[in-house]
Amino acid sequence: MNQHIDPGSLRADDGIERGGMLLHVDNISLSFGGVKAIADISFDIKKGEIRAIIGPNGAGKTSMLNVINGFYHPQEGTITFRGEKRRHMRPHRAASQGIARTFQNIALFKGMSTLDNIMTGRMTLMRSNILAQALWFGPAQKEELAHRETVEKIIDFLEIEHIRKTPVGRLPYGLQKRVELGRALAADPALLLLDEPMAGMNLEEKEDMSRFVLDVNQQFGTTIALIEHDMGVVMDLSDRVVVLDYGRKIGDGSPDEVRNNQDVIDAYLGVSHD
Amino acid sequence: MSPDFLNFIETVLNGLMTGVMYSLVALGFVLIFKASGIFNFAQGVMALFAALTLVGLQTGQVPFAHLINAVLGTDVHNWGPGLPTVLAILLTMAVMILLAYIVEKVVLKHLVNQEPIILFMATIGLAYFLEGFGDLMWGADVKALNVGLPTGGSFWWEDVTRGWASEGSEYFGMYIDTLDVSAAIIALILVIALTVFSQYTATGRALRAVADDHQAALSVGISLRGIWVIVWSISGFVALVAGIMWGAKSGVQFSLSLIALKALPVLILGGFTSIPGAIVGGLIIGVGEKLAEAYVGPLVGGAVENWFAYMVALAFLLFRPQGLYGEKIIERI
Repeated sequence: MNQHIDPGSLRADDGIERGGMLLHVDNISLSFGGVKAIADISFDIKKGEIRAIIGPNGAGKTSMLNVINGFYHPQEGTITFRGEKRRHMRPHRAASQGIARTFQNIALFKGMSTLDNIMTGRMTLMRSNILAQALWFGPAQKEELAHRETVEKIIDFLEIEHIRKTPVGRLPYGLQKRVELGRALAADPALLLLDEPMAGMNLEEKEDMSRFVLDVNQQFGTTIALIEHDMGVVMDLSDRVVVLDYGRKIGDGSPDEVRNNQDVIDAYLGVSHD
Repeated sequence: MSPDFLNFIETVLNGLMTGVMYSLVALGFVLIFKASGIFNFAQGVMALFAALTLVGLQTGQVPFAHLINAVLGTDVHNWGPGLPTVLAILLTMAVMILLAYIVEKVVLKHLVNQEPIILFMATIGLAYFLEGFGDLMWGADVKALNVGLPTGGSFWWEDVTRGWASEGSEYFGMYIDTLDVSAAIIALILVIALTVFSQYTATGRALRAVADDHQAALSVGISLRGIWVIVWSISGFVALVAGIMWGAKSGVQFSLSLIALKALPVLILGGFTSIPGAIVGGLIIGVGEKLAEAYVGPLVGGAVENWFAYMVALAFLLFRPQGLYGEKIIERI
C-alpha cells in the first residue's frame, strides 16, 4: 500500500533522503532556575526511522520533546532541523515547519468534535485569509473541503469513523489518544513527536496503538520520535534508542545495543554508588 | 384582554429590547474572555471610541482639532461635509482593527503568562487611556449619531395593539421604539454570523481551539498572538455595533463607557464564557429591570432600574456562581 495522506503536500520537500539526517540536537542544556533538566545532550534523528527516547522518571525526556517543538528554550546548544540551525523556536513556527506532537496528558480540544479536532491539525497548511473564510468565498471553501477530505482519510485510517461527531471530552482515554494521534498526523508532519502514546492503556489498546505507529511509519514514511515506558513496546517498535538519566545521555544505539549497555541496566535496575 | 395585562406585555417587550442592548455589550466581553481569559474592562470605552470615530468621520470633523488649534493657533473644525455612512462605518471598523493590533503589540504581548488580575489592570489602564484619547481626538461634546435607522414609536404596532383591549376600555395601544426593534434584529444577525463563523471556518475553529486549550493550540501551529488580534478585532466590531445602537439611542457621550458596568450583571447571570449566556442574561436583566421599575418602583419611590440588575447578580452569585451557561467550576485537589 502506498497511499499518501496528502498527495499534493503543501510542505515543500526538503530533499533529505530516507536515512539522511532530519534532526540534529547538539549540546543542549536546559535548566529551570537552579534545577538542571537537560545537561549537554546530543543525538540525531534520521529520516524515516522510529527513534525512541527512554529513561526513568525525571530523566528529561519530555523536556527534550518540549525543546524540539519550541515550548522550552534551552540555555545552550543548537537544534538543526532539515538543515536549518536554530536555538530558539516558537511552537507555532515549529508546527509550520512540520513538527507535530502529542502530549503525555492528552491535550485535545475537549469541547470540539473528533472531526474538528483533527481539522485543527491542518491549520498550518491552510492558506486562505480570514476575510475570504468569513465570506465563505470560493477558494476558501474549496480549500476547506480539500482539507476535510484528507481528514476523513485519516479518520478511516485510525478506524474512528463512529466517533467523528462526538465531542472528544466524552470519549474513553484510549480513543482520545487515538484522536490526538490523528490531529498530529493531519499536519502531514516531517517529524512526529509522541509523548508516551501508550501510557495508561490496556494490552489491547497498546497493540492497536503500536500497529498505528508502525503503519504511519511504514505507509507514510513519517519520521517518529517517541517516549515510552513499556520496554517491550520500545524494543519492538524502534529502530534506534537514546537513553536519558538525570538529564544526561547514557546510551544511544539499536535496541539490542542499548539493552546490553551496563549504564542503562544500572539506571533502570538501580546500582549502589560507592 | 384587559389593559393591565396589555401593559404587562408592553413592559416585557420593552424590557426585551433593552436587554438586547445589554447583550450586545456583554457579547464583546465574552469573546475576549473565552479566547484569552482576560476580562476586558475597556469594552465599554471601545464602544464609545467606535461611536466617536464614526460620528467624527460622518460629520467630517478634523481629528485632534483642539490640539491642532492650540498648538498652531489655527481654527480648524471640519475638513468637509463628511463621509457617507457606509464608508464611515467601514473606516471605523478599520480603525478598530488597527486598535486591536496596537493593543496586542503594546500591551498584551508583554503580559503573556501574567496573572489574570494584572491583565485586568492593564485593561483598566487601556480604558482610561482610550477615553482620554477619544476626548483629545474628537472632543468631549455630546454628538448626535444618525446612521439612517428609523427612530420613534411604531404607529403600526400601536394601531394593531389598540384593537386587542377589551371593548369599552380606554386603551391607546402599545409603545415600541423602532430603533430598539432594529437593534434587536441587528443583534440577532450578529450572533448568527458569529456562530456560523466560529463553527464553519478555519479561523473560527482556531478561535475555539485557543479557547479550549492554549498549549494544544500552540502545538498544532496556531499563533496565540495572531488569534488575540483577531479576537480583539471581532470585539472591536461588536463594540462598534453596540456603539452605533447606544449612540443612536441616547447620543454619543462619554457616559456611554459606563454601559460596561451594566454588562457586568449580565455576565454574572449568563456566565463569562458563554455567548448564548450573554444573550439570555441580557434579556433577563432587561425584562427584570423594566418589570421591577413598573411594579416594584411605585412602592419604593422609583429608580429601581438602577440597582435591580446588581441585586439579581448578587443573588445569582450565591446560588450559581458559574452563571446560567458558564462552565462548572470544579477544582481538583
